[in-house]
Amino acid sequence: MTGPTDRSAPDDAAIVRRVLDGDVEAYADLVARHRDRLWRYAFHILRDREDAEDAVQEALVRAYRALPRSEPDRFGSWLFQILVNRCRTIGGRRGRRERVQVADEGALERAAVEDLSERHAWREAIAWALDRLSAEQREAFLLKYVEELSYEEMAEMTGDGVSALKMRVKRACDALRALLEGVTRA
Amino acid sequence: MPERPDELFARVAAELEHPAPMDRAVDARVMAAVRAEATRRPWFLRRRTFAWSPAGLLMRAAAVAAIAVGATIAALHLRSVPPTSPPDHTVAFVLYAPGARSVSLAGDFNDWSKSATPLHPTASAGAWVVTVPLAPGRYHYAFVVDGKRWVTDPGAAPAPGDDFGKPSSVMTVGRS
Repeated sequence: MTGPTDRSAPDDAAIVRRVLDGDVEAYADLVARHRDRLWRYAFHILRDREDAEDAVQEALVRAYRALPRSEPDRFGSWLFQILVNRCRTIGGRRGRRERVQVADEGALERAAVEDLSERHAWREAIAWALDRLSAEQREAFLLKYVEELSYEEMAEMTGDGVSALKMRVKRACDALRALLEGVTRA
Repeated sequence: MPERPDELFARVAAELEHPAPMDRAVDARVMAAVRAEATRRPWFLRRRTFAWSPAGLLMRAAAVAAIAVGATIAALHLRSVPPTSPPDHTVAFVLYAPGARSVSLAGDFNDWSKSATPLHPTASAGAWVVTVPLAPGRYHYAFVVDGKRWVTDPGAAPAPGDDFGKPSSVMTVGRS
């Protein structure tokens, strides 16, 4: 997995320029290229399917509106930054609703039966542990370990300082380790 | 043997890498919204035209006057003049930040970009200003000093609970 900064950047840039030249339908290509990654982050950070869909939709539409101000070569990073901030706004504005499932249940069903209960328990444990992190800790952990951003990239995304982000990741890891300790020993 | 901490987090990350899929209807909704946007007058052209309108120039003059007042009465290290909202919805954002090397405005109206809307230093030492055309609505925003320090607008209402604890202010632009 790679970070958002340069993944397929030249192709993104070409598509961005097509859109800016008036080919509105080309924006669907950008949506297709980035939707899964946007969704993964929004889904885990907001812990609510409806909120996550709103965040992805709003980020993509806002990005289109602001496309003339974007740097085409950094479209992916810029779009992800918009999503991070939409998630912050939505997460702060709305109360958490019912917890979402953590992973693709279809994939779960395809797993071996004897493996099913163990994997299901592990996923449930992760969901339980993530719910107990603060929003800032969850954000820091997801950006660092799931999106695999550098601290410099995280600072650019969030507007927070590198040292503060390092502390946030450390605290998130400490909390997750404590929360999941019993599960990993089981 | 106990699991190494990094291995634990790698396992967690691996589990989170493939969440339940997003509804394909979201893609359709995005493109419907994009097509609707495209049929309207481009946003950036409205903004540019507005910025050079006589009303915009008047607001720049008003902003400078506001700076003079704000700088004169400034007794705190950091303070601002509240944004003003004339009928044409050009809003002047002013921050008194002595010693700052740069100040920018980030909010939900510019997708929280730290670079899209820089404030400009004025003749009044320490005072920074930018005017922004805004449609009627409620906006959350903050100032970013020296590219990294997020500062609320002391002249506007705080936005409690927004942005996961990142400080921001809230402002309502009225309808004409």
